[in-house]
Amino acid sequence: MQQISLLWLLPVLLVPLVVYRGFRILLNIKADEVPQNERDWTVPQLEFTQGEGSPIHCWDVRFKLASFLFLSFMIVSLQQIQMAIVALLLALASYQLADIPWQRGGKRLLGMTGFLAMFLLMLPLTAVPQTGDQVFVFGQIEWLRFNMRGLDLAVLIILRASAVALLMEPMLATASLPETLAGLERMGVPPRLTQLLLISHRYLHLFVHEARRMQIGMEVRGFRKATNFATLRSVGNFIGMLFVRSFERTERVHAAMLARGYQGRWPQAVNFKARRADYSKALLVVSLGLLLVFCDQLLWQK
Amino acid sequence: MHQLIKPNRFDNAAEDLIHVKDLGYTYPDGTKALEKIDFQVQAGDRIALVGHNGSGKTTLVKHLCGLLSPQQGTVVYKGNALGEDHLATARLEIGLLFQDPDDQLFGHSLYEDVAFGPRNQGLAEEAVDLAVRQAVASVGLEDLLFKPPHALSYGQKKRAALAGLLAMQPELLILDEPTANLDPLQEQVFIDLLKNYQGTLILISHDLIFLYELCNRALVLDAGRVHHDYPLKELVEHRPSLREHGLDFSFRFADSRQQDIEAREERRNLTPDAEVRPEAPLPALVETRDLHYRYPDGTAALCGVNLKISPGEHVALVGENGAGKSTLLMSLLGLLPFQGSYHFAGQKIVAGKGRLVWQQTGMVFQDCADQLVCPTCYDEVAFAPRQFGLKESEVEDLVYNALKSVKLDDFSDRVPLHLSGGERKRLALASVLSLQPQLLILDEPTAGLDPGGEEMLLEILADLDVTLLLVCHDIFFVRELTERTLVMHRGQIALDYSTKDFLEDKNLTTLNGLDYTYRNRCALQIQELQHRHEHAHAHRHHHDHPHRHGELLHSHPHEHEHDHPHTYTHSHSKDGAHQHPAQSLYHDHSHPDHEQEDHDHDH
Repeated sequence: MQQISLLWLLPVLLVPLVVYRGFRILLNIKADEVPQNERDWTVPQLEFTQGEGSPIHCWDVRFKLASFLFLSFMIVSLQQIQMAIVALLLALASYQLADIPWQRGGKRLLGMTGFLAMFLLMLPLTAVPQTGDQVFVFGQIEWLRFNMRGLDLAVLIILRASAVALLMEPMLATASLPETLAGLERMGVPPRLTQLLLISHRYLHLFVHEARRMQIGMEVRGFRKATNFATLRSVGNFIGMLFVRSFERTERVHAAMLARGYQGRWPQAVNFKARRADYSKALLVVSLGLLLVFCDQLLWQK
Repeated sequence: MHQLIKPNRFDNAAEDLIHVKDLGYTYPDGTKALEKIDFQVQAGDRIALVGHNGSGKTTLVKHLCGLLSPQQGTVVYKGNALGEDHLATARLEIGLLFQDPDDQLFGHSLYEDVAFGPRNQGLAEEAVDLAVRQAVASVGLEDLLFKPPHALSYGQKKRAALAGLLAMQPELLILDEPTANLDPLQEQVFIDLLKNYQGTLILISHDLIFLYELCNRALVLDAGRVHHDYPLKELVEHRPSLREHGLDFSFRFADSRQQDIEAREERRNLTPDAEVRPEAPLPALVETRDLHYRYPDGTAALCGVNLKISPGEHVALVGENGAGKSTLLMSLLGLLPFQGSYHFAGQKIVAGKGRLVWQQTGMVFQDCADQLVCPTCYDEVAFAPRQFGLKESEVEDLVYNALKSVKLDDFSDRVPLHLSGGERKRLALASVLSLQPQLLILDEPTAGLDPGGEEMLLEILADLDVTLLLVCHDIFFVRELTERTLVMHRGQIALDYSTKDFLEDKNLTTLNGLDYTYRNRCALQIQELQHRHEHAHAHRHHHDHPHRHGELLHSHPHEHEHDHPHTYTHSHSKDGAHQHPAQSLYHDHSHPDHEQEDHDHDH
């Protein structure tokens, strides 16, 4: 156990905030960035279009999903920081290969940063000391110990989470949602679940709009949240009404689907046909995953 | 209830497409929705399905396309009762357009949604692609083929939903309130498409003008029964039937309301000539300069709006769907992060912070369900005063007065969710009037109302003494309630002039394609039909045609008296009396078979 100055506590406490703000500044992400031109809606839209034609875009969705999911599981099983760094580099490489704008991935990571940065604070301060651990004590505060093994663990978790989060982009954003869901269905996910996801994606926007309109309806009549029963009652009424409207809407949507010939299966236009390149890419990604784990185990045994 | 004036059978020699026999349906709560419904639909029929809200129209059409199973009687489609395999086939041949387009647009993009039906029909992907592109082009949305439905405007959604049906090439098309809340341009798209539609058509609407354009047969439901089944022209001509079934829109005729308008103008201390906004410089209640706003997807919604509204003014805001009207309203309420300058009652309003505006502004939303969140009508109207911290005794007075002003005095304990469309609209109005606002904003107040509801709302609004900003496609409401009109186009106020000038503006169609005079022309056409009727009474005729005196057949001018029907177009005097145009006692007319009759007259 090693004693250090109490002043070291300040940077430790500020770590989550510094990481979050630093990341935000690094990415230069503005809160409400609005594109200045409307998209061309006459062509099929992905969230971004510049990467179309990349090796990942051309990859059969089924192989892509299976391979990246396998790789993700391999990454979360890593125990060594060195290998987690390699995994993050691999994720970055696949991200680059898909030609996805960096800001998009940055935003995804930013969303996680606040949560992940807390690990940097919590794990070093709460890890139970074991034999061989390097532990620091802040001044005379004996009960407050900074365990370096906890810090390593936090960094490892952050690296693994970031790698998997970055892999999600090439995995999910390089095909349209209906195509991705069709791929999942072919891989054995129950059709009811994929249809539910598809419809949810469509109506989530609508329910958000409805909730927003109702919220505006309350706000323009002076509603302001406070810690009292009146607010609780108003919010309760709001949620209840939203639920009733949503429930009625689901009944009408189902009726509309039936009226247009729906018989329990969503009609799909996606025809999957595996090519040699699809197998090769899958083999490559799976091999990389296995190699990561193998190297990780080697390092672990050392 | 007036007598049925025609038998329950529309005479058409064509094959029965649908035959409804003794249909009955009761909802689980015991409400009888349909009872002893009998009628046939022949291929090519164009039927207006009309009746009061709650008369069973929607329940009936749900039976026609098999969404509900008959509890009593049968629905036969092409010779077979709807059920099992035949039901699946029928649904692919019958298109049902729902009132709310969001119920029907469940696809990930417009293309995917429109392709849903053709794919269910089992078409090959090339044929699906062709059907989708043709249907989308027919409703004028080819530029938005891959746009997600939730990002479309309301009018675009309505057209997209119709495209989803047209792509299936249905034999029977059933449309529930297809033009509700649409601007005249989009309404015209529907009229043109449906005029050219070759299949069988069933339209549910309160809009008699729209129905008159497209249908030739009226099926009138009343309390779950078929009350009339006859040519639409006869329904339109017969005002008592229209009034009984909530379709009488004669209150819209200018001459009948002239006195009301004059009286109101007197109350406002305005002379009829002073319809234009006052010249004296009054401090503006609302003043914006160079207001800009862009949607998150980059679409420009407001492009430099300059607006000034003085206290007491009644202003209409018109324009095509998507012109930016609703966005402007949201900005005026301080709800959107706009750019530019905005002052309300002399005070600067910061974008996104509009509490100052809210206390002095009441806004009734297009869909009033958005602002009804409380369990009782009393709580709903009391919501705003309570939020602004008024004492409960004051709140009680305000609620009582607000409910009284919208003619809902006895509704305090009723549940808002259970009210009819018209009652909800009035409750929404009461819920903002309870704060006694300086500025009242109405966004499409007539949306979803039947003519009876419209008439009552108009009376209520005409008596209010507030600054009014009315967003409306209904030219009649604009004329009745406002003296100044702003025309919005592509996010800007393109025209700002008196309502009188707006009503006479022949160039609007070149600006934004909107023809606001079209409905007036149709209304006058219907009015003339209603005022045309027949009388039979004895009168003298002057003739010159071959006729018989015993054995002698000859021809010469002569006169004689008999009675037979004549068609008149009557008018109404100021006291409402029925007036016929002057008729000459002697007149000539055709006289079939007259030459065979015996005649006895002087020579």
